[in-house]
Amino acid sequence: MSPLRGVDTLRSCLEGILPAGLATCAPDGTPNVTYVSQLMYVDPEHVALSFQFFNKTRENILANPHATVLMMDPDTATRYRLSIRYLRTETAGPLFERMKATLAGIASHTGMAGVFRLRGADVYRVLAIEAVPGRSLPPPEARAPLLPALRRSVDALSGCRSLEHLIDTLALCLERHFGIAHQMLLMADALRQRLYIVASRGYASSGAGAEIPYGVGVIGVAARERTPIRIIFPAAEYAYSRAIREQLEGGALADRLEAGIPLPGLPDPSSQLAVPVHAGDRLMAVLYVESDQQYRFNYDMEDALVALCAMLGPCMCALQSEALEDDAAPATPAQPPPDASAPPLRVRYFAQDGSVFLDDAYLIKGVAGSILWTLLQDHQTLGRCEFSKREMRLDSRLRLPEVVDNLDARLILLSRRLADRQADLRIEKAGRGRIRLALTRPVSLIAGGTQAA
Amino acid sequence: MPSPAILTPELVRFVTSHLSIHIAASDGGGQATLVRGLGCRADPAVAGGLRLLAARPQAEPVLRGIAADGRVAVVFSEPETHRTVQLKARDARVLAPDDDDTALLAPYTDTLVTRLACVGTPEPFVRALLACPPDELIVVCATPDEVFGQTPGPLAGERLDAAHPLP
Repeated sequence: MSPLRGVDTLRSCLEGILPAGLATCAPDGTPNVTYVSQLMYVDPEHVALSFQFFNKTRENILANPHATVLMMDPDTATRYRLSIRYLRTETAGPLFERMKATLAGIASHTGMAGVFRLRGADVYRVLAIEAVPGRSLPPPEARAPLLPALRRSVDALSGCRSLEHLIDTLALCLERHFGIAHQMLLMADALRQRLYIVASRGYASSGAGAEIPYGVGVIGVAARERTPIRIIFPAAEYAYSRAIREQLEGGALADRLEAGIPLPGLPDPSSQLAVPVHAGDRLMAVLYVESDQQYRFNYDMEDALVALCAMLGPCMCALQSEALEDDAAPATPAQPPPDASAPPLRVRYFAQDGSVFLDDAYLIKGVAGSILWTLLQDHQTLGRCEFSKREMRLDSRLRLPEVVDNLDARLILLSRRLADRQADLRIEKAGRGRIRLALTRPVSLIAGGTQAA
Repeated sequence: MPSPAILTPELVRFVTSHLSIHIAASDGGGQATLVRGLGCRADPAVAGGLRLLAARPQAEPVLRGIAADGRVAVVFSEPETHRTVQLKARDARVLAPDDDDTALLAPYTDTLVTRLACVGTPEPFVRALLACPPDELIVVCATPDEVFGQTPGPLAGERLDAAHPLP
């Protein structure tokens, strides 16, 4: 079998579902054989093996780079021998992190959590592949084909004319065409090196506004390393909710991280996949999908979502930076004024971190908090309900970052956060490039501990 | 130097308890290769010797290596516990199976089915993996002279001796 075509067709053997055997040879000709807990696909010509312990295998491949792997197809039991040649060891970077996350899943799956620790990703060139004769099982029933799902999704995304429509369409496509029930989209905040949830599906609460730092959990590592991270077994240390909780308990980030918004996410996902969304060399977002089912996301699913995100990133970038025509429903008539006899909604704002509380209950902080406070101030003092995004971009009170302001994304998260809270205060579209504050009660604005208006 | 004492009764019991087995040999040119073993029993005719089963069509490159220099490395792993040991020998040779060898295949397969069920591997998969028509069975006879613990962990690769015969 040609190694070039071969490795791509044998990726299910490289998932770490079953351990492979590895034979190496000492310079004096003495063979050595061991089990490899992780054999990973790198590209059509290369595989990586986990380097965990200093042992004879290590000694041998450093002296004689030729080795043979005996691996099995996890569905059919077909065996393959791969003749491989050791090239190098990577101890950091995307491949290392992908492998480390995968190994965490394998360790947990095989009861070896705490024993397996990745020292390096040993990269080998595949020289030859031999199908070993022997009995095998019929291939499993094929999963739903992914190319039609991808095509339908790309078609749907290409028709979107606003960021919100794009985000909602993506969620719908993942659900409808890919059958993915649990998903979230997190926007990147490069300045603060963290991601914030802008949309999610499949959870009790959207979690809009909840944050995760770069480097934490599957999502954070995908953002930091700019590479997809996929785990097909439960791996507690990479689960979003646990990773973030540990960060908070660690104390270092406790005061800076958004901790007031309930986190969505399955408590113990059995499969996780995080895909970075780029526009050029800029990280725009991370798409995260998870499942209670083991091995829910295979290499092909990863490929499909990477391809989808490759289209999503530039779309996001274009829709955020240009004042494109809003494809929302036509502007609804102005809301009736709030019921003046209702008790006012107390909105308290702390300028030092932009945090906003509604009737003493925490809502949001940061840029989104400053945006809401500014809109409410103008509403209170000038009687305004509608605002254009163009004027908001120029308003220094909003504290928008200068280079990449993500204003649209922040407005989406703010409106979803308000919807999650079922507040008497909403943000809705008001036609092209405009938003509207909708209040069902009068508001009372309190800056810090003092009543402002 | 060969040291027959390396194969203590305790170690023989372990490696013949129907574990997951891989047999490796090298081709004399610096390339090692391997095949799955299909059973192991103590050689009643050779003190300290083992008889390892394999399927000839699958084992061809390994058999060529054994024919070249007689050196083999064999790894045995208990799937449920990951307890793993590697034996090495320099006197391996390939023989036709006798009746006792052939009779070993069925109980070996049945036990592996049970053992691998513990780690979630379905029975049909294990039976396909270990399937071998009797006329394709061969036996590798070897007298191990080195033993290494290979249970995953920092001590993997440590040489074991008669005083510490098991990983």
